[in-house]
Amino acid sequence: MSADISDLSLVRRVQRGDKGAFDALVLKYQHKLVKLVMRYVRNPAEAEDIAQEAFIKAYRALPQFRGDSAFYTWLYRIAINTAKNAVVSRDRSPIEYDLDRNNTDESYDMQGRMKDPETPEGLVLTDEIRSTVNAAIDALPEDLRTAIVLRELEGLSYEEIAAAMDCPVGTVRSRIFRAREAIDRRLREVFEGGLGRVEELG
Amino acid sequence: MNEELDSQLSAMFDDELPAAECELLARRLSRDEQLKARWGRYAVIGATIRAERGVRLNAGLARRVNAAISSEPVLAAESVAQPKKKWAYAWWQPVASAAAVAGVAAVSILWMRSHSPESAAPVIAATAAPVVAQTPAAGVVAANVVNGEPDSYVVPKNTARRLVVPSTELANYVVAHSEFSSPVTRRNLLSAFMASESGTATPSAGSEEPTEDVQDDAKIPQ
Repeated sequence: MSADISDLSLVRRVQRGDKGAFDALVLKYQHKLVKLVMRYVRNPAEAEDIAQEAFIKAYRALPQFRGDSAFYTWLYRIAINTAKNAVVSRDRSPIEYDLDRNNTDESYDMQGRMKDPETPEGLVLTDEIRSTVNAAIDALPEDLRTAIVLRELEGLSYEEIAAAMDCPVGTVRSRIFRAREAIDRRLREVFEGGLGRVEELG
Repeated sequence: MNEELDSQLSAMFDDELPAAECELLARRLSRDEQLKARWGRYAVIGATIRAERGVRLNAGLARRVNAAISSEPVLAAESVAQPKKKWAYAWWQPVASAAAVAGVAAVSILWMRSHSPESAAPVIAATAAPVVAQTPAAGVVAANVVNGEPDSYVVPKNTARRLVVPSTELANYVVAHSEFSSPVTRRNLLSAFMASESGTATPSAGSEEPTEDVQDDAKIPQ
Protein backbone atom coordinates (compact mmCIF):
# COMPACT_ATOMS: atom_id res chain seq x y z
CA MET A 1 0.00 0.00 0.00
CA SER A 2 1.46 3.33 -0.97
CA ALA A 3 1.87 5.73 1.86
CA ASP A 4 -0.32 8.78 2.24
CA ILE A 5 -2.77 7.74 -0.46
CA SER A 6 -5.80 8.53 1.66
CA ASP A 7 -4.51 11.98 2.55
CA LEU A 8 -3.64 12.61 -1.05
CA SER A 9 -7.12 11.72 -2.23
CA LEU A 10 -8.54 14.22 0.27
CA VAL A 11 -5.97 16.84 -0.72
CA ARG A 12 -6.85 16.46 -4.39
CA ARG A 13 -10.48 17.01 -3.55
CA VAL A 14 -9.64 20.20 -1.66
CA GLN A 15 -7.55 21.36 -4.59
CA ARG A 16 -10.57 20.84 -6.81
CA GLY A 17 -12.59 23.12 -4.55
CA ASP A 18 -14.09 20.67 -2.04
CA LYS A 19 -13.71 22.38 1.33
CA GLY A 20 -15.42 19.49 3.11
CA ALA A 21 -12.42 17.29 2.39
CA PHE A 22 -10.22 19.74 4.25
CA ASP A 23 -12.38 19.24 7.36
CA ALA A 24 -11.45 15.56 7.28
CA LEU A 25 -7.76 16.44 7.17
CA VAL A 26 -8.17 18.85 10.07
CA LEU A 27 -10.06 16.26 12.11
CA LYS A 28 -7.38 13.70 11.46
CA TYR A 29 -4.35 15.81 12.27
CA GLN A 30 -5.47 18.43 14.75
CA HIS A 31 -4.35 16.48 17.81
CA LYS A 32 -0.97 15.69 16.35
CA LEU A 33 -0.51 19.29 15.32
CA VAL A 34 -1.45 20.69 18.71
CA LYS A 35 0.94 18.25 20.32
CA LEU A 36 3.67 19.33 17.93
CA VAL A 37 3.08 23.03 18.56
CA MET A 38 3.17 22.47 22.29
CA ARG A 39 6.87 21.82 21.98
CA TYR A 40 7.15 25.56 21.35
CA VAL A 41 4.38 26.97 23.50
CA ARG A 42 3.18 25.46 26.72
CA ASN A 43 -0.23 26.97 26.83
CA PRO A 44 -2.76 24.57 25.22
CA ALA A 45 -5.01 27.44 24.14
CA GLU A 46 -2.14 29.22 22.45
CA ALA A 47 -1.07 25.95 20.83
CA GLU A 48 -4.57 25.56 19.43
CA ASP A 49 -4.51 29.08 18.05
CA ILE A 50 -1.21 28.39 16.35
CA ALA A 51 -2.47 25.06 15.03
CA GLN A 52 -5.53 26.82 13.66
CA GLU A 53 -3.35 29.39 11.95
CA ALA A 54 -1.19 26.60 10.52
CA PHE A 55 -4.24 24.85 9.10
CA ILE A 56 -5.45 28.04 7.47
CA LYS A 57 -2.01 28.69 6.00
CA ALA A 58 -1.96 25.12 4.74
CA TYR A 59 -5.33 25.57 3.09
CA ARG A 60 -4.17 28.71 1.34
CA ALA A 61 -0.95 27.03 0.25
CA LEU A 62 -2.60 23.82 -0.93
CA PRO A 63 -2.57 24.85 -4.60
CA GLN A 64 1.23 24.72 -4.37
CA PHE A 65 1.23 21.27 -2.76
CA ARG A 66 2.33 18.82 -5.44
CA GLY A 67 2.37 15.66 -3.40
CA ASP A 68 6.13 15.21 -3.57
CA SER A 69 6.11 14.66 0.19
CA ALA A 70 3.46 13.30 2.52
CA PHE A 71 0.73 15.77 3.38
CA TYR A 72 1.46 15.55 7.09
CA THR A 73 5.17 16.22 6.52
CA TRP A 74 4.24 19.34 4.61
CA LEU A 75 1.69 20.40 7.24
CA TYR A 76 4.25 19.69 9.94
CA ARG A 77 6.71 22.16 8.40
CA ILE A 78 4.04 24.84 8.15
CA ALA A 79 3.09 24.32 11.80
CA ILE A 80 6.70 24.46 12.96
CA ASN A 81 7.29 27.73 11.10
CA THR A 82 4.05 29.20 12.39
CA ALA A 83 4.93 28.23 15.95
CA LYS A 84 8.43 29.68 15.69
CA ASN A 85 7.09 32.95 14.29
CA ALA A 86 4.47 33.09 17.02
CA VAL A 87 7.09 32.62 19.71
CA VAL A 88 9.30 35.32 18.20
CA SER A 89 6.47 37.83 17.86
CA ARG A 90 5.22 37.07 21.36
CA ASP A 91 8.68 37.60 22.82
CA ARG A 92 8.87 40.95 21.06
CA SER A 93 5.51 42.12 22.38
CA PRO A 94 5.46 44.10 25.65
CA ILE A 95 4.90 42.11 28.81
CA GLU A 96 1.85 43.16 30.70
CA TYR A 97 2.77 41.68 34.03
CA ASP A 98 5.76 41.71 36.26
CA LEU A 99 7.86 38.61 35.95
CA ASP A 100 11.43 37.70 36.44
CA ARG A 101 12.52 37.40 32.81
CA ASN A 102 15.74 35.68 33.80
CA ASN A 103 13.82 32.53 34.48
CA THR A 104 12.43 31.69 31.08
CA ASP A 105 10.68 28.49 32.07
CA GLU A 106 8.91 30.15 34.94
CA SER A 107 7.78 33.04 32.77
CA TYR A 108 6.45 30.64 30.17
CA ASP A 109 4.54 28.77 32.85
CA MET A 110 3.12 31.93 34.30
CA GLN A 111 2.20 33.24 30.90
CA GLY A 112 0.51 29.95 30.14
CA ARG A 113 -1.51 29.95 33.30
CA MET A 114 -2.60 33.52 32.80
CA LYS A 115 -3.75 33.04 29.26
CA ASP A 116 -5.18 29.58 29.56
CA PRO A 117 -8.93 29.80 29.13
CA GLU A 118 -9.39 26.08 29.74
CA THR A 119 -12.63 25.61 31.59
CA PRO A 120 -13.26 23.06 34.34
CA GLU A 121 -16.07 21.68 32.19
CA GLY A 122 -13.67 21.08 29.34
CA LEU A 123 -11.20 19.37 31.61
CA VAL A 124 -13.92 17.11 33.02
CA LEU A 125 -14.98 16.13 29.53
CA THR A 126 -11.44 15.44 28.47
CA ASP A 127 -10.87 13.30 31.54
CA GLU A 128 -14.13 11.48 31.01
CA ILE A 129 -13.27 10.73 27.41
CA ARG A 130 -9.84 9.50 28.36
CA SER A 131 -11.20 7.19 31.04
CA THR A 132 -13.94 5.97 28.68
CA VAL A 133 -11.51 5.16 25.92
CA ASN A 134 -9.11 3.47 28.30
CA ALA A 135 -11.91 1.43 29.87
CA ALA A 136 -13.17 0.43 26.44
CA ILE A 137 -9.70 -0.69 25.42
CA ASP A 138 -9.34 -2.73 28.60
CA ALA A 139 -12.67 -4.41 27.86
CA LEU A 140 -11.63 -5.44 24.36
CA PRO A 141 -10.78 -9.05 23.55
CA GLU A 142 -7.06 -9.64 23.55
CA ASP A 143 -6.64 -9.87 19.77
CA LEU A 144 -8.58 -6.65 19.11
CA ARG A 145 -6.71 -4.78 21.85
CA THR A 146 -3.34 -5.93 20.54
CA ALA A 147 -4.22 -4.92 16.99
CA ILE A 148 -5.42 -1.42 17.86
CA VAL A 149 -2.53 -0.76 20.24
CA LEU A 150 0.04 -1.92 17.70
CA ARG A 151 -1.55 0.36 15.17
CA GLU A 152 -2.14 3.49 17.23
CA LEU A 153 0.64 3.31 19.76
CA GLU A 154 3.40 1.63 17.81
CA GLY A 155 2.36 2.96 14.42
CA LEU A 156 2.77 -0.39 12.68
CA SER A 157 1.29 -0.99 9.25
CA TYR A 158 -1.35 -3.69 8.74
CA GLU A 159 1.27 -5.89 7.13
CA GLU A 160 3.61 -5.53 10.09
CA ILE A 161 0.78 -6.23 12.52
CA ALA A 162 -0.20 -9.28 10.48
CA ALA A 163 3.36 -10.55 10.76
CA ALA A 164 3.47 -9.82 14.49
CA MET A 165 0.13 -11.49 15.17
CA ASP A 166 0.63 -14.26 12.63
CA CYS A 167 -2.63 -13.68 10.80
CA PRO A 168 -3.74 -12.38 7.37
CA VAL A 169 -3.79 -8.65 6.66
CA GLY A 170 -7.56 -8.81 6.15
CA THR A 171 -7.96 -10.11 9.70
CA VAL A 172 -5.88 -7.22 11.01
CA ARG A 173 -8.06 -4.74 9.17
CA SER A 174 -11.16 -6.36 10.61
CA ARG A 175 -9.77 -6.46 14.15
CA ILE A 176 -8.76 -2.82 14.10
CA PHE A 177 -12.11 -1.81 12.73
CA ARG A 178 -14.00 -3.83 15.35
CA ALA A 179 -11.82 -2.41 18.12
CA ARG A 180 -12.51 1.12 16.93
CA GLU A 181 -16.21 0.42 16.68
CA ALA A 182 -16.33 -0.90 20.23
CA ILE A 183 -14.48 2.12 21.59
CA ASP A 184 -16.45 4.54 19.46
CA ARG A 185 -19.74 3.13 20.75
CA ARG A 186 -18.73 4.00 24.32
CA LEU A 187 -17.38 7.35 23.22
CA ARG A 188 -20.62 8.36 21.55
CA GLU A 189 -22.52 7.56 24.73
CA VAL A 190 -20.33 9.99 26.62
CA PHE A 191 -20.95 12.80 24.20
CA GLU A 192 -24.58 12.19 23.47
CA GLY A 193 -25.52 11.33 27.00
CA GLY A 194 -23.55 13.55 29.30
CA LEU A 195 -22.31 16.75 27.91
CA GLY A 196 -23.92 16.94 24.51
CA ARG A 197 -20.89 18.23 22.73
CA VAL A 198 -20.86 15.94 19.78
CA GLU A 199 -20.83 18.84 17.40
CA GLU A 200 -17.71 20.21 19.05
CA LEU A 201 -15.82 16.98 19.11
CA GLY A 202 -12.88 17.18 16.90
CA MET B 1 -24.46 2.73 9.34
CA ASN B 2 -23.11 0.35 6.74
CA GLU B 3 -20.50 -1.89 8.33
CA GLU B 4 -18.49 -2.27 5.14
CA LEU B 5 -18.38 1.48 4.79
CA ASP B 6 -17.17 1.87 8.36
CA SER B 7 -14.56 -0.80 7.80
CA GLN B 8 -13.35 1.10 4.76
CA LEU B 9 -13.29 4.30 6.77
CA SER B 10 -11.14 2.66 9.42
CA ALA B 11 -8.74 1.35 6.78
CA MET B 12 -8.62 4.72 5.06
CA PHE B 13 -7.85 6.40 8.36
CA ASP B 14 -4.83 4.09 8.63
CA ASP B 15 -3.85 4.74 5.03
CA GLU B 16 -4.46 1.09 4.24
CA LEU B 17 -7.27 1.40 1.72
CA PRO B 18 -6.61 0.85 -2.00
CA ALA B 19 -6.36 4.07 -4.00
CA ALA B 20 -9.52 3.52 -6.01
CA GLU B 21 -11.62 2.96 -2.90
CA CYS B 22 -9.93 5.94 -1.28
CA GLU B 23 -11.09 8.22 -4.04
CA LEU B 24 -14.70 7.15 -3.65
CA LEU B 25 -14.63 7.30 0.13
CA ALA B 26 -12.90 10.68 0.19
CA ARG B 27 -15.74 12.03 -1.89
CA ARG B 28 -18.31 10.64 0.48
CA LEU B 29 -16.36 11.67 3.57
CA SER B 30 -16.22 15.29 2.48
CA ARG B 31 -20.02 15.41 2.26
CA ASP B 32 -21.29 13.06 4.94
CA GLU B 33 -21.23 14.80 8.32
CA GLN B 34 -21.94 11.60 10.23
CA LEU B 35 -19.05 9.87 8.58
CA LYS B 36 -16.87 12.87 9.23
CA ALA B 37 -17.78 12.84 12.92
CA ARG B 38 -16.85 9.18 13.12
CA TRP B 39 -13.57 9.93 11.37
CA GLY B 40 -12.93 12.64 13.95
CA ARG B 41 -13.64 10.20 16.79
CA TYR B 42 -11.17 7.74 15.30
CA ALA B 43 -8.60 10.51 15.61
CA VAL B 44 -9.65 11.08 19.22
CA ILE B 45 -9.26 7.38 19.99
CA GLY B 46 -5.77 7.38 18.53
CA ALA B 47 -4.79 10.53 20.39
CA THR B 48 -6.10 9.10 23.64
CA ILE B 49 -4.25 5.82 23.20
CA ARG B 50 -1.08 7.77 22.57
CA ALA B 51 -1.98 9.99 25.55
CA GLU B 52 -1.09 13.04 23.53
CA ARG B 53 -0.45 16.03 25.66
CA GLY B 54 -2.59 19.00 24.94
CA VAL B 55 -5.46 17.03 23.49
CA ARG B 56 -8.55 18.93 24.45
CA LEU B 57 -11.38 17.05 22.96
CA ASN B 58 -14.00 19.75 23.33
CA ALA B 59 -11.85 22.52 21.97
CA GLY B 60 -13.66 22.81 18.68
CA LEU B 61 -10.49 23.47 16.78
CA ALA B 62 -11.86 21.75 13.71
CA ARG B 63 -15.01 23.84 13.94
CA ARG B 64 -13.02 27.06 14.14
CA VAL B 65 -10.83 26.09 11.21
CA ASN B 66 -13.93 25.19 9.27
CA ALA B 67 -15.45 28.60 10.00
CA ALA B 68 -12.26 30.35 8.93
CA ILE B 69 -11.98 28.30 5.75
CA SER B 70 -15.60 29.07 4.87
CA SER B 71 -14.68 32.67 4.24
CA GLU B 72 -11.71 31.67 2.10
CA PRO B 73 -12.09 31.52 -1.67
CA VAL B 74 -12.60 28.07 -3.14
CA LEU B 75 -9.39 26.68 -4.57
CA ALA B 76 -9.42 26.58 -8.34
CA ALA B 77 -8.24 23.46 -10.07
CA GLU B 78 -6.24 25.51 -12.58
CA SER B 79 -4.07 27.00 -9.87
CA VAL B 80 -3.02 23.66 -8.45
CA ALA B 81 0.59 22.80 -9.06
CA GLN B 82 1.18 19.55 -10.85
CA PRO B 83 3.86 17.09 -9.80
CA LYS B 84 7.03 17.20 -11.86
CA LYS B 85 7.06 14.66 -14.64
CA LYS B 86 10.34 13.05 -13.80
CA TRP B 87 10.28 10.80 -16.84
CA ALA B 88 10.36 13.82 -19.12
CA TYR B 89 13.88 14.65 -17.96
CA ALA B 90 15.11 11.15 -17.37
CA TRP B 91 16.26 10.17 -20.84
CA TRP B 92 18.80 12.87 -21.50
CA GLN B 93 20.43 12.92 -18.07
CA PRO B 94 22.63 9.83 -18.52
CA VAL B 95 23.45 10.93 -22.07
CA ALA B 96 24.49 14.37 -20.91
CA SER B 97 26.51 12.90 -18.04
CA ALA B 98 28.33 10.48 -20.33
CA ALA B 99 29.04 13.25 -22.84
CA ALA B 100 30.40 15.53 -20.13
CA VAL B 101 32.61 12.82 -18.70
CA ALA B 102 33.89 11.81 -22.13
CA GLY B 103 34.66 15.46 -22.87
CA VAL B 104 36.58 15.87 -19.63
CA ALA B 105 38.53 12.69 -20.30
CA ALA B 106 39.37 13.75 -23.87
CA VAL B 107 40.51 17.20 -22.74
CA SER B 108 42.59 15.62 -19.99
CA ILE B 109 44.30 13.28 -22.40
CA LEU B 110 45.05 16.09 -24.86
CA TRP B 111 46.32 18.30 -22.08
CA MET B 112 48.58 15.61 -20.73
CA ARG B 113 49.98 14.84 -24.12
CA SER B 114 50.65 18.49 -24.81
CA HIS B 115 52.44 18.88 -21.46
CA SER B 116 54.46 15.72 -21.77
CA PRO B 117 58.25 16.30 -22.10
CA GLU B 118 58.23 14.25 -25.23
CA SER B 119 56.01 15.51 -27.95
CA ALA B 120 53.33 13.43 -29.55
CA ALA B 121 55.35 12.87 -32.70
CA PRO B 122 58.29 11.10 -31.05
CA VAL B 123 55.84 9.08 -29.00
CA ILE B 124 54.11 7.94 -32.13
CA ALA B 125 57.44 7.32 -33.76
CA ALA B 126 58.64 5.42 -30.75
CA THR B 127 55.47 3.42 -30.63
CA ALA B 128 55.77 2.56 -34.28
CA ALA B 129 59.48 1.93 -34.13
CA PRO B 130 59.41 -1.45 -32.46
CA VAL B 131 57.00 -2.70 -35.09
CA VAL B 132 59.47 -1.73 -37.74
CA ALA B 133 62.46 -2.84 -35.72
CA GLN B 134 61.07 -6.17 -34.69
CA THR B 135 60.07 -7.29 -38.14
CA PRO B 136 63.54 -7.12 -39.62
CA ALA B 137 65.05 -8.32 -36.39
CA ALA B 138 66.60 -11.30 -37.99
CA GLY B 139 68.11 -9.11 -40.65
CA VAL B 140 69.45 -6.69 -38.05
CA VAL B 141 70.91 -9.53 -36.03
CA ALA B 142 72.49 -10.83 -39.16
CA ALA B 143 73.84 -7.37 -39.85
CA ASN B 144 75.13 -7.25 -36.31
CA VAL B 145 77.01 -10.41 -36.86
CA VAL B 146 78.45 -8.91 -39.96
CA ASN B 147 79.31 -5.53 -38.43
CA GLY B 148 80.32 -6.88 -35.05
CA GLU B 149 78.13 -4.41 -33.18
CA PRO B 150 76.78 -5.21 -29.67
CA ASP B 151 73.39 -6.97 -29.26
CA SER B 152 72.01 -4.21 -27.10
CA TYR B 153 71.62 -2.09 -30.18
CA VAL B 154 69.21 -4.58 -31.78
CA VAL B 155 66.56 -4.42 -29.02
CA PRO B 156 66.67 -0.95 -27.52
CA LYS B 157 64.88 -0.48 -24.29
CA ASN B 158 61.71 1.26 -25.39
CA THR B 159 60.88 3.50 -22.43
CA ALA B 160 58.79 5.88 -24.49
CA ARG B 161 56.35 3.17 -25.36
CA ARG B 162 56.04 2.04 -21.82
CA LEU B 163 55.31 5.61 -20.77
CA VAL B 164 52.45 5.90 -23.21
CA VAL B 165 50.79 2.56 -22.63
CA PRO B 166 49.73 3.12 -19.02
CA SER B 167 48.33 6.53 -19.94
CA THR B 168 46.12 5.13 -22.67
CA GLU B 169 45.01 2.27 -20.51
CA LEU B 170 44.15 4.55 -17.67
CA ALA B 171 42.42 7.02 -19.94
CA ASN B 172 40.34 4.24 -21.40
CA TYR B 173 39.67 3.00 -17.93
CA VAL B 174 38.49 6.40 -16.80
CA VAL B 175 36.22 6.78 -19.79
CA ALA B 176 34.84 3.28 -19.48
CA HIS B 177 34.16 3.58 -15.76
CA SER B 178 33.18 7.20 -15.62
CA GLU B 179 29.53 6.32 -15.58
CA PHE B 180 29.94 4.35 -12.38
CA SER B 181 32.30 6.61 -10.47
CA SER B 182 31.57 9.80 -8.60
CA PRO B 183 32.91 13.12 -9.94
CA VAL B 184 35.28 13.41 -6.96
CA THR B 185 36.72 9.98 -7.57
CA ARG B 186 37.13 10.78 -11.25
CA ARG B 187 38.94 13.99 -10.46
CA ASN B 188 41.21 12.23 -7.98
CA LEU B 189 41.96 9.55 -10.48
CA LEU B 190 42.74 12.02 -13.21
CA SER B 191 44.91 14.12 -10.90
CA ALA B 192 46.85 11.08 -9.79
CA PHE B 193 47.05 9.98 -13.37
CA MET B 194 48.49 13.33 -14.48
CA ALA B 195 50.89 13.44 -11.55
CA SER B 196 52.16 10.00 -12.30
CA GLU B 197 52.43 10.88 -15.94
CA SER B 198 54.61 13.91 -15.31
CA GLY B 199 56.62 11.90 -12.79
CA THR B 200 57.30 8.99 -15.09
CA ALA B 201 58.06 11.26 -18.01
CA THR B 202 61.19 12.57 -16.38
CA PRO B 203 64.22 10.56 -17.36
CA SER B 204 65.46 10.51 -13.81
CA ALA B 205 62.42 8.65 -12.60
CA GLY B 206 63.29 5.78 -14.82
CA SER B 207 60.17 3.90 -13.89
CA GLU B 208 58.38 1.85 -16.48
CA GLU B 209 55.32 0.97 -14.45
CA PRO B 210 52.54 3.25 -13.25
CA THR B 211 53.37 4.63 -9.86
CA GLU B 212 51.99 2.94 -6.79
CA ASP B 213 49.44 5.64 -5.99
CA VAL B 214 47.96 5.61 -9.49
CA GLN B 215 47.58 1.89 -9.28
CA ASP B 216 45.74 2.32 -6.01
CA ASP B 217 43.53 5.10 -7.32
CA ALA B 218 42.71 3.08 -10.36
CA LYS B 219 40.97 0.62 -8.07
CA ILE B 220 38.69 3.21 -6.51
CA PRO B 221 35.96 3.43 -9.12
CA GLN B 222 35.17 -0.25 -8.91
